[in-house]
Amino acid sequence: MNLFPQRRPSTFSDRPLLTDDTKVIAAKLTFFQYAALAVFVFLITGFWELQVVKESIYSEAAERNRIKSRPILAPRGKILDRDGRVIVDNHSSFSLLLSRENLKDEHLKNIAEGLNLDLTELTQRLARYKKRPRYEPIIIKDELTAGDISFVEAHRNQDTFPEMELIHTQRRLYPRDGLAAHVIGYVGEISEPELDLPEFIKYKQGDVIGKDGIEKQYNEMLMGTDGQRRVLVDNMGNERQVLENKEARPGQPLQLTLDLDLQAVAELSMEGRRGAVVALDPRSGEVLAMVSRPAFDPNAFAGRIPTKLWNTIIQDPDKPLLNRAVQAQLAPGSTFKPIMALAGLETGAITEGFSASCSGVANWYGRPFKCHQKGGHGHVELHKALAQSCDVYFYALGNKMGIDTIAQYAEMVGLGQKTGVDIPHEASGLVPSTKWKMRAYRQKWFAGETISVSIGQGALIVTPIQLASAIGGMATGGVWQKPHLVRRRGTEAPARRAELNLDNVNQVVYGMFGVVNEGGTGVRARLAGVEVCGKTGTAQLASNDFLKTAAGKSMKDTAWFVGFANKSPEIVVVAMFEAGEHGNLAAPIVRDVIKSYFDKKARMTPPEPAKALAQAMFPRELRR
Amino acid sequence: MSEYTESIIPGVSRRKSASRYRPAVFLLVPLLAILFQVYVPRFIESAANLELPLLVTVYFSLMRRQPIAGTLIGAVIGLAQDSLSHLPLGMFGIVKTLVGYFAASVSQRFDVENPAIRLILGFFFFFFHQFFYWILSRALLSQQVGFDLVQTLIVGVLNAAVGLPLFVLLDKLRQDDVALA
Amino acid sequence: MDFLLHRYRSLTVLVVTILAQLVLLAYQVKTDGDVRLIRVWSVEAVTPLARVLEGIRSSTSDFFSNYVVLSGAQAENRRMREELGRLKMDNQFLRSELSTAQRAEALVVFQKRSPSKTVAARVIGSSTGANAKVVFVDRGFTSGVLKGMAVLTPDGIVGKVIASYPTAAQVQLITDPSFAAGVISQSSRVQGTLKGQGRGDLLVDYVQLEQKVEKGEWFFTSGDDRVFPKGLPVGQVSVDKQGTTFREIYLLPSGFQHGLEEVLIVVEGVHQQIPDDVSAFNQPIKLLPPPPPPEGSPESGSLAAPDGGPQPLTTDADRLRQKYRALGEAQSHKYGEGMTAPNYNQATPPVVPGTPAGSVATPPGAAPGTTAARPIAPAAGVATKGPATTPGATPLSGTVANPAPPATKAPAMKAPVTPTTAPTTTPTSTPAVKSTTTPAVKPPVP
Repeated sequence: MNLFPQRRPSTFSDRPLLTDDTKVIAAKLTFFQYAALAVFVFLITGFWELQVVKESIYSEAAERNRIKSRPILAPRGKILDRDGRVIVDNHSSFSLLLSRENLKDEHLKNIAEGLNLDLTELTQRLARYKKRPRYEPIIIKDELTAGDISFVEAHRNQDTFPEMELIHTQRRLYPRDGLAAHVIGYVGEISEPELDLPEFIKYKQGDVIGKDGIEKQYNEMLMGTDGQRRVLVDNMGNERQVLENKEARPGQPLQLTLDLDLQAVAELSMEGRRGAVVALDPRSGEVLAMVSRPAFDPNAFAGRIPTKLWNTIIQDPDKPLLNRAVQAQLAPGSTFKPIMALAGLETGAITEGFSASCSGVANWYGRPFKCHQKGGHGHVELHKALAQSCDVYFYALGNKMGIDTIAQYAEMVGLGQKTGVDIPHEASGLVPSTKWKMRAYRQKWFAGETISVSIGQGALIVTPIQLASAIGGMATGGVWQKPHLVRRRGTEAPARRAELNLDNVNQVVYGMFGVVNEGGTGVRARLAGVEVCGKTGTAQLASNDFLKTAAGKSMKDTAWFVGFANKSPEIVVVAMFEAGEHGNLAAPIVRDVIKSYFDKKARMTPPEPAKALAQAMFPRELRR
Repeated sequence: MSEYTESIIPGVSRRKSASRYRPAVFLLVPLLAILFQVYVPRFIESAANLELPLLVTVYFSLMRRQPIAGTLIGAVIGLAQDSLSHLPLGMFGIVKTLVGYFAASVSQRFDVENPAIRLILGFFFFFFHQFFYWILSRALLSQQVGFDLVQTLIVGVLNAAVGLPLFVLLDKLRQDDVALA
Repeated sequence: MDFLLHRYRSLTVLVVTILAQLVLLAYQVKTDGDVRLIRVWSVEAVTPLARVLEGIRSSTSDFFSNYVVLSGAQAENRRMREELGRLKMDNQFLRSELSTAQRAEALVVFQKRSPSKTVAARVIGSSTGANAKVVFVDRGFTSGVLKGMAVLTPDGIVGKVIASYPTAAQVQLITDPSFAAGVISQSSRVQGTLKGQGRGDLLVDYVQLEQKVEKGEWFFTSGDDRVFPKGLPVGQVSVDKQGTTFREIYLLPSGFQHGLEEVLIVVEGVHQQIPDDVSAFNQPIKLLPPPPPPEGSPESGSLAAPDGGPQPLTTDADRLRQKYRALGEAQSHKYGEGMTAPNYNQATPPVVPGTPAGSVATPPGAAPGTTAARPIAPAAGVATKGPATTPGATPLSGTVANPAPPATKAPAMKAPVTPTTAPTTTPTSTPAVKSTTTPAVKPPVP
């Protein structure tokens, strides 16, 4: 029933054949046809939306091809010295994000391989994030090298490992070779145990927080708030549209009381040595320098520390992580003598005629106690006893006062308790007393033990910062400001005060002046134009008997030096030099630091003509 | 009901004749068209603009005049093309399916032997193809690619112009026209 | 309903066909999977024809350029060309090694490394995709070609395999916008990531602003991407300008100089192949082990230059300590020792900020041409130690943390000039060969 059998109908040939009726019906049918198609198109759009885009089970899967959520990491605040010079900076680097939505487990091996990561560590890491929503990507490597970046870029397209993504970050840049490392501390990723602690409640997995030092103490300030970007990307991974852009809020800068000029000198002085240097301004308690050696490189800790490196550091017998300035607890040796002297004067034990005759050794309670000077010092009164560091004099003084009086004054100057410096893990040291012995050992105090404590040995242990604070506070006349590393804003912490007889203080200070300036043990600390007062200390690590054993032979004495300048001190410096053998070897360290303080002061004050002019214009009385 | 359709509808849609081809032609011609697209642009870069597989789809759909045949031809050629790209399968497939269907549908209303009609249809379907492909990549793959209208129009004219002699060439492979129904 | 279905039979077919393809598409999008089967069919249907076509074309063009059409000679010819290609590669390799050799012990380096094992393939077609730069080659996984393998010509790298079918493979060219590879410049040792631009030239990205390269300087593969073996030529610098965050260095690729007809696929790089334990559905991805660390670099992964920057990053604290150190040295004072203190206010010799006196921080690129100025003989090179190798100063120190693959991991040493696989023929015996022996551009021979 072929109505139109012609082979080649012309375009318009059919027109006349159509009736109006059929035309209308045909048009209706065509309309119907296209309407059906439109409905169909509508339906497939709906199908796509529902099944692929919106449907809850698949929504994540579909979104990862389109919407990516990328964290914007907030840079931490810079850490500055007292003059605003940068101690800790940030530098830009690249980190690798691993998106977990489209992560294929079999890719992990290759990714780990390509980036020189440990596969087991990587898998463990991923496991830790199990609880986090899957759209949240995780950082698996920081400080990408140029090679790492090449690997990521070459493999992050859809055909290979699309899970990988580069993210630009600001990493911590610490001074090299561990300069001020212990003060600054370091940052690290929040650990699993930390996450469970209430104090870390506001942090989440993967956050980088301060782990030690200032970084830990002032983490809240230094740490910013990460932002987030939600972007629409095409299949090439290029951003096409920004859906959400929550800018990161960078951390606040933090100004320390440290003076880099002093810090640098102190660091250089301690190079290759084991020990600590603390410089304080006793008038304010500001820490001007704090060095602990051996140090670690906080840069190596700035991201994720490789387990191997971490193990080497914590297994190092020299304990580079230990901040010796606040954590090393050692016998102070003769540096304790000024405190003994003060106690003696204040309690009246040192009377006008109190003296000792030193023959190099003295017998107490049936035991010989040696003086460091084998031939003895002869007749010794207070000034000479301090300047020459005569042990025999202080044995007698200690015996006269008794342990509890010694303990009372030791505690008064701040020993045996934390100074409260704003840095974590401060040690408290120990001041022995009869009470303490009873509490700790359930034993009676033996009078013989007092003799050892009198020269800063025995059970007495102090930290360098305690000693600096104690001597500094004493020299200022009995005001102990709380040492601190961050400049106070607003309220000052109340200082500890003691009613001291200034004459007594002056006598002790004069004795310490003699140590440095009158041919005493600390002559190396002498400086022209500056009144340096100080005291050497050579502390044994164990009892004399133990030191004679094989193990004891290797235990060399700790060298201490505590010095301040001027007589009414502006700066007090303690140097502790482990295995330094003699306190006079620690003196140059203190000297160099004090010199740098005064040289800097000279640099900062106007030169002489200007000074003279100022003096002429404003007489002394007026300037007050 | 059936009487009604019998009496009226044939007047509209079943009065054209469909061209017939050997099965081998259906296999080889699209294959060669794809081959052309794969091979020639290596030497003549502008040849990449020629959408021979599309022209072949349009031609067969127009000449077969059966929407079903057009749909299937389009789908097969489109999928084959997809396979040789590195994009997900189905993009060219869907577009060419639609092209095949519509080409077969409109063939019933036009004289498909007329060179002018062929030229216009060739151009129209090229444009439709490019446009719909663009829509699909935006909607389904979230590829935010741009659409260059002017270039598409120019290339469309070119393709239509190439299509003309191509269609004549393909006409030679026609076995015999058979009246439908 | 019956009527409707009958009436709209064609529409129904359309709907079904489109729905089916939508499902197919949705499946791929959702799973990131691929429907290999359909692709394999199409590729296997098209590529034999393309191969025939290419065969016809090349033999016809050979006919015109050639003299004797003997099948034996043809085969010989092709084999020789392959061989020559290999020799050329070895040569390139040697050249790039030479400059290394001048810095370190040439022989030791030589013994550790050997040229890659390659498979020759012909380009038989390009991909149908819109603006992608992808070609088909006539070797597939039956010839050992796997996804992720490097593709080169004797003149340089040209791309990498992104899909492998039984007898064909898809190669993404280096000009493709999504292509990336690790590269390093020859004399200034600037490291970066190569990116295709979709145009003729290539971008070297992630190069620090302070680093500079000479125009015309060669870039080589760095091996960091684990696709390309280290030391293959990439191209020459055409543009080097200051960008916003990184330098903008553009290269002219050298790999395409003589057209893109025959390529070499690196089946076995200088490193070992990773055992494939990837599921059968997914194609295994070939990944090379890490490249050996640069010679003469420090052992520890220190942060000498975290960004591969020319100078170690420092803060004021470092600079100040440096100042005091210099001051101490100037007054021959050893801090914390001796009887007197130094005068801190005494003028000190100027210290370049950020340059620790302890290490000689020669920024790479500051001494361009130093390499070129050195003697050619490797023996002399062994004795000469260039400034670029100063520990901590080379940008390569960034890779130091990568453990070096043990020397035993590398395949047995092959004398680079005499490949064992190829017959020994005089490469210059036929003019056809000659055409490929003379590259227009050569990396500068120091």
